[in-house]
Amino acid sequence: MTVLAGASGTGVVVGQPVLAVRDLVVHFGARRRSRPPLAGRRSAGIVHAVCGVSFDLGAGETLGLVGESGCGKSTTARAVLQLVPPTSGSVRFEGRELTSLGTGELRRLRADLQMVFQDPYSSLDPRMSVGTSVAEPLRVHRRLGVHGEERVAELLRTVGLDPAHARRYPHEFSGGQRQRIGIARALALEPKVLVLDEPVSALDVSVKAGVVNLLEELQDRLGLAYLFVAHDLSVVGQISDRVAVMYLGKLVETGTAAAVYQHPSHPYTQALLSAVPQPDPALERRRRRIVLTGEVPSPVSPPSGCRFRTRCPKAAPVCAEEEPALVDRGQGHPVACHFAEAVDPGARCGIG
Amino acid sequence: MAQPEPVLAVDALVVRFPTADGVVEAVRGVSWSVGPGQVLGIVGESGAGKSVSALAVMGLLPDPAVVSGSARLRGAELVGMAPRVLNRYRGERLAMIFQDPMSSLNPVRTVGWQLAEAVRVHHEVSRRDARSRAVELLELVGIPNPRQRARGYPHELSGGMRQRVVIAMAMANDPEVIIADEPTTALDVTVQAQILETLHRAREATGAAMVLITHDLGVVAGVADEVIVMYAGRVVERGGVDEVFYRPRMPYTQALLGSLPRVGPDGSGRSVPIPGAPPSLIDLPPGCPFAPRCSFARADCGDEPVLRLVEPPRHQVACHFSEQVASAWGGSGEPAARAVNGEVSGGRS
Ligand SMILES: Nc1ncnc2c1ncn2[C@@H]1O[C@H](COP(=O)(O)OP(=O)(O)OP(=O)(O)O)[C@@H](O)[C@H]1O
Ligand SMILES: [Mg+2]
Repeated sequence: MTVLAGASGTGVVVGQPVLAVRDLVVHFGARRRSRPPLAGRRSAGIVHAVCGVSFDLGAGETLGLVGESGCGKSTTARAVLQLVPPTSGSVRFEGRELTSLGTGELRRLRADLQMVFQDPYSSLDPRMSVGTSVAEPLRVHRRLGVHGEERVAELLRTVGLDPAHARRYPHEFSGGQRQRIGIARALALEPKVLVLDEPVSALDVSVKAGVVNLLEELQDRLGLAYLFVAHDLSVVGQISDRVAVMYLGKLVETGTAAAVYQHPSHPYTQALLSAVPQPDPALERRRRRIVLTGEVPSPVSPPSGCRFRTRCPKAAPVCAEEEPALVDRGQGHPVACHFAEAVDPGARCGIG
Repeated sequence: MAQPEPVLAVDALVVRFPTADGVVEAVRGVSWSVGPGQVLGIVGESGAGKSVSALAVMGLLPDPAVVSGSARLRGAELVGMAPRVLNRYRGERLAMIFQDPMSSLNPVRTVGWQLAEAVRVHHEVSRRDARSRAVELLELVGIPNPRQRARGYPHELSGGMRQRVVIAMAMANDPEVIIADEPTTALDVTVQAQILETLHRAREATGAAMVLITHDLGVVAGVADEVIVMYAGRVVERGGVDEVFYRPRMPYTQALLGSLPRVGPDGSGRSVPIPGAPPSLIDLPPGCPFAPRCSFARADCGDEPVLRLVEPPRHQVACHFSEQVASAWGGSGEPAARAVNGEVSGGRS
């Protein structure tokens, strides 16, 4: 069976997706303030963090979710795992709806859906030995058994650590090693899906590559599916099969990594990619950055129509009136822009 | 070609921290210089001594630090300078920008007050003139509604806007050198692009030289004229930006470049991590400190290599085997032809 993400071509997942997310919405309630941020604004309002996000994740596949801080990537990741209650929408894992599950059922399913966090310093309990930390999910799910110690050793070996280190404490490890411990812990229950929220952002460049390579190896070996959330476009481009670009709570462009990186068609994607500095002096001297003006608007009162229009070099009156749908507009992959145009690398183009 | 007289010249700089576990040799004889209007990039892994060497130049290290060597600003020796004089130099002739803008801003004063104060500390101007200069500076760094923003407080601004205010403060007195330590590291790429452009404008407006410390080799590639690579408290490679990026002669520089992911799945090969970790800077064993992680290491790496000229006029490398190392990097030295998005924005400028 072939499932289409969105209405079009390149969002294709062959076979049943392990994870199918539809129209996911997460609103956070008003935080009362003694003084409103702007005079004249009525209620402190609702934070529209995630506003109708849909995607599929196939078995053994990596979907990269990119966007800038505050765009709703992490909230999406958390809502997928029901760590944040979705306001509406559906999240299906192997066909089973997660949003309506009771806590007990959800806990059992969590074994299949694990999360790896950004901060290798705070995501491990400093008072727990590494072995205890890695064994904890097994204990919670009553799967420790008699071979527990062996299993922990195997997990540590899997992530490239010396099993003899099981007795040591987190502070004795480097950032890269701690992130490996976090991954070992997430793998303990043999999950099918790992949701990784900025898993390498806190790491030194020289170490980052090791963790990314490890994730790729584990995927090949164990058939894991990854929802890889990050703001670092270089890392996402390297690890992802497909990429979804998010802006202010909505997906603006999705497609295979090759399609999105080589033919970015949404002005936001184009600006994002053009802003990534490359370690290549001649290229850097030659290229022109699209420097966006202004800042991301508040998710409390997102702009009408297209949310990117307030910063978009192509904005026209229609953009304020009509919200562009995320559909293929002849680029070969879905783009949510009235004026989407594929840009061939190296070709001239008329932005601005 | 004669190099112009450097604005800031650091020579054989050494910084030691006595600690309970022993003496941390954070900076072990570092030399560099930056010419008028030039940008020097300093790169290297965490703990290499990038920040400590910059703080030593600025006289901003905590008390137990022991600094020796020399740092001359247009000939004036900064190391050991009386704090009162150095204080006047900072802000007036030398400015520093940190990763966290709040470390340079006062949370309980308005942005305009702080900028005006920065102007008034070093210039005899009326309060009123200082205020209008403050608004001018805010405008210069691209802050919308500068007049209104001047009346606001730092916490009302986003991270990117705060960093612009810090750049405006740095510009307040037409400094000769701006030292920026990871000025864009905490920021999103589009904000980073805005800040890099603002820094560029600040340099054009003041003619200041800049020392840019960053772990992001991409940022350095686009901004720096000259680059130094630091490892374990030393400079291990130094040269023009093209020499260092296209013809790296030190295994560490090559490994660092090889560990980077490139934007765009273009099949240009996987990034390769550097095995192991940098050495502890307490009781550093003799020999090349990179040897334990180096794929070129041999028995005769015993002596710690000193920085030597490998390619005139200025490409210097600290490696016994830089010739073999250079040929291993692939001969042509031409920029790798990569289909990256750099061209996305199209037309040549
Ligand atoms: N006050 C201090 N006391 C003892 N050691 C210190 C002190 N400050 C810094 N160091 C040590 O000096 C060395 C160099 O640190 P520095 O901050 O310069 O590194 P860096 O290259 O800037 O790294 P990063 O990329 O993480 O900013 C490190 O080993 C650090 O632990
Ligand atoms: Mg530093």
